[in-house]
Amino acid sequence: MVPAVLAVLAIGVLAALPLGRLLITAVIGENGLDLGPLISRIMRSATQRAIFNTLDTALVGAILAMAIGAPFAFLVAMTDVPFRRLQGFMLLLPLMIAPQVTALAYMQLLGPSSALLGTVGLAPPPGTPNPLLGRGGIILLYGIQHAPMVFITLRAGLAALPRDYVEAARAAGAKPWRVLSTVVVPLIWPYFIAALALAFVSGVGNFGIPALLGIPANYLTLATLIYRQLASNGPSVLPQLAMLSVIIAAIATAGLAIQAVGLRKPGFAVSRGLPARFELGAWRWPVAAIGSALIGVMLVLPLAALVTTSLVPAYGVRLSLSTLTLDNYAEVLLRQASTIRAFFNSFYLSSLAALILALCAVPLAVGLRGLPMRPRQALHGLLDLPYALPGIVLAVACILLFLRPLPLIGSLYNTPWIILVAYLMRFAALAAKPVDASLGQIPPQMSEAAAAAGANAWRRLVTITLPLAAPAAVAGALLVFMSAFNELTVSALLWSNRNETLGVILFSLEEAGLSAQASAIAVVTVGVVVVLLLVLDRLASLLPAGVLPWR
Amino acid sequence: MRTLLTASLMLATLLTPAMAQEGNLVLYTSQPQTDAQQTADAFMAKYPGITVEWVRDGTPQVMAKFRAELEAGAPQADVLLIADVVTMEGLKAEGLLLNYPEADTTGYPEDLYDEDGAYFSTKLITTGIVYNTAATMIPTSWKDLTTPEAEGQVAMPSPLTSGAALIHTVTLTENLPEGWDYYTALAENGAQASGGNGGILTAVSGGEKLYGMIVDYMPIREAAKGAPVAFVFPTEGVSAVTEPVAILQSAKNPDNAKLFVDFLLSEEGQQLAASQGYIPAREGVALPEGYPDRSEIKVLSYDAAAALANETANKERFAEIFGQ
Repeated sequence: MVPAVLAVLAIGVLAALPLGRLLITAVIGENGLDLGPLISRIMRSATQRAIFNTLDTALVGAILAMAIGAPFAFLVAMTDVPFRRLQGFMLLLPLMIAPQVTALAYMQLLGPSSALLGTVGLAPPPGTPNPLLGRGGIILLYGIQHAPMVFITLRAGLAALPRDYVEAARAAGAKPWRVLSTVVVPLIWPYFIAALALAFVSGVGNFGIPALLGIPANYLTLATLIYRQLASNGPSVLPQLAMLSVIIAAIATAGLAIQAVGLRKPGFAVSRGLPARFELGAWRWPVAAIGSALIGVMLVLPLAALVTTSLVPAYGVRLSLSTLTLDNYAEVLLRQASTIRAFFNSFYLSSLAALILALCAVPLAVGLRGLPMRPRQALHGLLDLPYALPGIVLAVACILLFLRPLPLIGSLYNTPWIILVAYLMRFAALAAKPVDASLGQIPPQMSEAAAAAGANAWRRLVTITLPLAAPAAVAGALLVFMSAFNELTVSALLWSNRNETLGVILFSLEEAGLSAQASAIAVVTVGVVVVLLLVLDRLASLLPAGVLPWR
Repeated sequence: MRTLLTASLMLATLLTPAMAQEGNLVLYTSQPQTDAQQTADAFMAKYPGITVEWVRDGTPQVMAKFRAELEAGAPQADVLLIADVVTMEGLKAEGLLLNYPEADTTGYPEDLYDEDGAYFSTKLITTGIVYNTAATMIPTSWKDLTTPEAEGQVAMPSPLTSGAALIHTVTLTENLPEGWDYYTALAENGAQASGGNGGILTAVSGGEKLYGMIVDYMPIREAAKGAPVAFVFPTEGVSAVTEPVAILQSAKNPDNAKLFVDFLLSEEGQQLAASQGYIPAREGVALPEGYPDRSEIKVLSYDAAAALANETANKERFAEIFGQ
């Protein structure tokens, strides 16, 4: 009972507190409870259009993310395709690049000033609108941006897949395709649903992509509508913003309810050891080539466009030997002290958030498992909401909550810790989801046997649950780190002098029209993240099997 | 050693009559990152005893932060240095600004500061036309943007998003003989209104649009670096925001805030603005490279009080014309 109470308390602090503060602002008028403004807000055509756009792009984007991420997860985890580790590694990168950078890179790739298309004579003539503006571009980039989430989540599921089932099916003469569709997919079905829900919820809350690709074409989602309301009318519209946030929360909840239905399927027993493998035979090289080509188009080309832009003195200048300059790098890395500071700040804030959440995820999920089905699902849903809401809304909630000095700790405002707290609130769902999925597959018999042998609850947690859930916890921590390292919308309102984050620096450069300098920072960020991942890769032998999604 | 230092510091404080000259100053500003850093550094170089803590963001975000702090009962800022006078008028009307009528306004035309000393303009940021150098039609007048050559090729910041763009809209509708019909013509010509100035620069220098309405310093600065853009001061004149500075009623360091205002308005502070690529507000300070002579820039006037009063109506009218 104690773990359950603690878990409920934790969710109360992480999710119910900020959301409750917003809800109070949304529905409590001057004369007490008043739902009238909320309802009239929903009835507005602009709001309805934004609701439809949000659902549309998030859903189709999630399906696209699944279509990209799932085959790679299968290839990397279960086949002998060449370069699978490298491909898995590369596929993680979109998640580690801030959404607004991804959008910028793709726009540079396909616009009239595209250096790449220009060299092959395919660049559209000046005056051609960017093909990525609007619905299609947003969906495409949601698919690419969130494919790593699908990949990581499914990969965690596949790593835990009992090898015996697959081998039994193969021994009985089933063709690989049949094994895949009748054994593998049904067994990891909960992971599919979890991955799809993650991608959907991420799309609902995404700001960077619809901001760059939607706003110029007046294609608004709820997140960009909120931003425009705030930018247009200033903070006097806080109640209306809170109302729009409540609508977003409702949409996210609906997505999570679907997830709950999917998870009703019974779990299966996991076994550790080598995961099941398929041999591709003659198909090895063609499959590797197709995978590499896809990654090339999805990742390498836009990154190349980004690098190109970072090497010219100003956006729009053609790259040539005479225009090539490292000045943007010198400016942001040497002349502006804030950039280095921002790297450091973003690094330690996201590491701390990842560490804390990874440590808490297993006890939290175990505690929740002690509850009956319905309250448990409700609490998981609640935990997802701060992630689904636009960060700017969560940030406002945090300011309202933490500005006044609290007993013992004082005011968090104007310190980096308010950003850390907001990260914990925002990314708790990312850490909890994979762990919960993995717990669902630990057979109760193991725990029962241990209990029968006299092991108490604590001992069972440490010797059975923790080791089996560890890969999922580390996968969750990775997700948290990568998402926090690049996030912009939360820290945009919470940063203070000397506590700026990378996202803040990047956005302010873009806002000032300095795309070339912004690109330089983005390139360095990608470089830093790749180095970090390579270090992790070197340490792989020290980690439990299946922890690093690309191995 | 430390005692000696303290003693000399105390002596220095005794010898200079005016004000505190030590402690903190909290600045909330909408200046770009680099400029904000330079401004704070220059002020601290002049007053080594004062530590400037600054927060920068777009004007709406800075105001959001300020308002949220105000609502929670703990405003942090001493000084605001934000894009436009209209916001300042609103703050003044709410009694949130501290009057500083003693400020030295020598060299400033009267319409550039508040008569009660609630806020002071520090520079002129005009809005004119940017074009991509690949364009065949070189615009010279606002009306050129409604010609067939510019059809579907004009981008402009949305007044719904950018405060400067709202002032630009108000100025043009007050001064052009066509009034709001000019914007109707723009909309019919396929002009696109969205986002802020940075996005317009990216769209035009990237060649996705050939023409844009934009603040002066961005394309002038980028053109100097080789970007394929050029800036035009249209013949009818340009609109301008003036980046006013104001001390808050709730300032914890009002004396340091006054020193900061003095610094921005001084010749030294104005030369700093010019070196950053802005038109200094103070007469007699030379304009940066890339600008025509001060006498050739015709700034159109607008009624700030009316702009504040009609803000919602203007936005709605704009939204209606552009179907937003």
